[in-house]
Order: sequence, then C-alpha cells, then structure tokens
Amino acid sequence: MTTTVIDGRELQPPEPMERTLEALDTLAEGDDVLLLLYCQPHPLFSILKKNGYAWGEEVRADGTREIRIHKLPG
Amino acid sequence: MHASLSFDQAPPISVPYRFFLVAPWFGATAGILLVWAGADALGSRWTPEALALTHLIALGFMLQAMCGALFQFIPVAVGGNVWRPRLVANTVQPLLLLATLLLVAGLLFGRPVLLSAAVPLFLLAIGGFVTVVALALWQTPATGMTLWAMRMAIAGLAITVLLGSLLAEALAHGFAVPIVDLTNVHLGWGLGGWALMLLAGVSYHVVPMFQLTRPYPSWFTRSFGLLLLGFLLAWSSRLLLDDALWSPLIAYPLLLILSAYAGTTLWLQYTRRRKIHDATSLYFRVAMLSMLAFAVSGTVYFLRPELGADPRFVVWLGVLALVGVFVSAITGMMYKIVPFLNWLHLQRLGAPISAVPNMKKMIPADAMTGQLRLHVLAVLMLLTAVWQPGLIRPAGLALAASFVWLGCNLAGAVRRYQGFRDQIRAAA
Repeated sequence: MTTTVIDGRELQPPEPMERTLEALDTLAEGDDVLLLLYCQPHPLFSILKKNGYAWGEEVRADGTREIRIHKLPG
Repeated sequence: MHASLSFDQAPPISVPYRFFLVAPWFGATAGILLVWAGADALGSRWTPEALALTHLIALGFMLQAMCGALFQFIPVAVGGNVWRPRLVANTVQPLLLLATLLLVAGLLFGRPVLLSAAVPLFLLAIGGFVTVVALALWQTPATGMTLWAMRMAIAGLAITVLLGSLLAEALAHGFAVPIVDLTNVHLGWGLGGWALMLLAGVSYHVVPMFQLTRPYPSWFTRSFGLLLLGFLLAWSSRLLLDDALWSPLIAYPLLLILSAYAGTTLWLQYTRRRKIHDATSLYFRVAMLSMLAFAVSGTVYFLRPELGADPRFVVWLGVLALVGVFVSAITGMMYKIVPFLNWLHLQRLGAPISAVPNMKKMIPADAMTGQLRLHVLAVLMLLTAVWQPGLIRPAGLALAASFVWLGCNLAGAVRRYQGFRDQIRAAA
C-alpha cells in the first residue's frame, strides 16, 4: 500500500485541491492520499462524496488536519 | 484530468456576483456625497450627510458584499445548503438595493415618507435572507467555531435590522423613544454582533487558508464569539439602566476583545513561515491596524470625556470602523473570493485542470495593489478631514475613485470568467 502525501498547509488555494485531484487520478486500488491542511476543504469533500471516495479526518495538536482519502471498492 | 469527476452543487456564480458587482458603486456614491456636501458633512455623527454616508457604506457596500459572500461561503466553508439560492438572491438583492436608496434619501433630505417606505422592504429582504441562511446554518452537519460565529452573526443581523426599523419609524413619525441610546445599541449590534462576528468567523477559515498562517488558537476561537455576544447584551442594557458608569464598564472589555482579535490576526500574519504580500494580506493588515486604532481611540474617548465631548470624535471612530476596518477587510476578502469562484466554476465545466487558467489571472495583481494604495490614501485623508473640514472634498474624491477602481476590478474579473468559460466550451 502506498500513501501519497500532499502538504497543502503552505500552498494557496486552489493548489491543494488541484494536486489532490491529480493524485486521485492515478490512485491504485488499496493506495491512499494523505492531505495536510489547516482547514476543512468542503468543496473537495463534496467532489469526493459524489465520485466514490471515502475519507477520514484527524486534527493534530497544532491545528493541522490530516485528511486520508481512498477509493471505495466497486 | 478528472473530467469524469462531478463537482458540488454550489450556487450558480451569478448569485454572489449580483451582490458583489453592485456593492462598490454604493461606496463610490458615498464618496460623491462627500464631494457634494463639502465642509459641514462630518461635523457630527447626526448631520444628514453623515447618516446617509454611514448607511451607504454599511448597507450599500458592506451588507451587499456580506450577503453575497454568505451565499457562497456557507456551502464552501461549512457544507450547508441554502434553499433555492438563485430565487432568494434575485429577490433579496433588488429589495435591499431599493430599501437602501430609500433610507439614504430619507436621511439625507429629511423625508419621513421615504424612511417609512424603506422599513417594510428591509424587513422583507432581511427577514427572508435571515430565514434561509439560518436554516442552512442549523441543518449542516459541520461543526466548529466558524459555524457558531456565523450563527451568532445572522442573529446579530436580525437584531440590527429590527432596531434600525424601529429607529426609522421613530424618526418618520416622531415616536417617543430614546433615540441616542437606541442608536448606540443599533450600531453596537450592526458593527459588533453582525459585521465583526461574521468577519471573525470567516477569518478563522480564510486567514489560514488564503494567507497561509497557522490556525487561530482554539482558546481564542472558543471564547471570542461568546464574549462579544455577552458584552453586546450588556451594552444593550443601557436601554434599561441609566447609569453613567455603565457604558465605560462595558466598553473597555469590548475594546479589549477587539484588540485581541486584531492582535491575534496580525501575530498570525507575522509568524507565518511563508510570507506572501498580496492585496488580501495587506488589506487585512490595514483592517487590523485600523481596529487597533479604533480600540485606542475608543479608550481615549471614555478616559478623557473632554475630548469625547467634541462631536467629531465619534465621526473619527466611525471612519476608522467603517472605512478603515470593514471596507478594507471586505475588499481584501473579495479579492480572494472572486478569483477562487471563477476558478471553481470553470472547473465545474469539466475541463482538464491544465485548461483552467490560474487564479492569479482573474484580477491583475497590479490593479489590486494600486486600488489598495488609493484606498489607504482615502482612509488617511478622511481621518484628517474629520479635523480639517477643508479636506473633505478631496477625501471624498479619493474614496469615490478607490471604489470605482474596485468596481472595475471586479467587473473585469467577471468578464475574464465569461471569456475563459466560452473558450473551454468551444474547446469541448
């Protein structure tokens, strides 16, 4: 299993979303994308929900949100 | 890539833009009003010109821009769905525009019939807006302090408009109400409960996102909104309590929490690892420095009653709050929101990412920083003109010119969106 890490904390929108969507395009079965941000990317969540991806979210002590995205089976 | 991905059902781009494109022209009208009125306009907060000017900025510019931004911000930042946004915007925005023009004309020319005509239009427009926005904010599954600040802000807007309607009817029909106290409570809710609450809530989300700072400390976001709300409720009690000591006792902590918000935002900007000095960051810096200047001036106002007795002192505070803080912060936000919305809606056409122009191409950076410099000049000239009335006409001219430039920058961004959209559709 491979994790592609995208640190979007020092990138200006929409670059984190662009990089995430590009990474999802080449995501293999069982792999995931780990996106690091300081905010909740609702537009991205909406795209993920509509296109068969699932994600989990954890908040670190420094306020960083770890958003781990993978493709739903089927 | 991702031509196969479907994008979210955010409101049509025309919904926020119909508010954004109108807002700067109210600001330009405020500048022209100063040029027309001349030296006596800012002699006190109660001159017809000062009252008209205040509402041209607060309703014409700020409220139009903030309503437009909320339609887009609710789905993008807190995942909420506003009921039939196109219908609501197409109804609320023209009603608001007409109501503002009637109110401003009524205040400027002393026509009670115009004040009375404006009231039902405001109640209808804001009543409808508050209802649909409140439903969206209470139904979203999202959590966090941005959401809570927005909920409190929308309640603050409702209270402001109810108090304003009461004041307008009292002026129109000569009702016996405590006009001065009621006005102070009305502006407390308008500037604090609505505008500042919303600005702070939105800042928690957009300052880290667009200005690349660390997040606001959680102890700050958890306490700021509640403290502001609590002190505004206490500030409102002046309608019931007639005690000269009461106002300063409430005002000092209120000014302290304003300073805490401004200081925290400046500190976050100062300590970010990647320094960017685009128009939005600079506009926010101007807004926060104006807020600190407002807090210091407000403290002096209560500490030195002999200075506060000069009616121009409150006008100075008003210029700092309206033009220094809120026009600056809102313009800075619009310079990020509009390019971002252009980009987001072009993406939704299903084009490959490479075919969608970079956000930086939506409004030229030079045009934004040039407009920012003119705005700062206008703020400084207005502040000087409060004490040197001979400068009021040039200050009004600078204010009008800065808003016209803003209006042209936003209109140019919309034209570029239409051009890029047509190119993408033609290529498809």
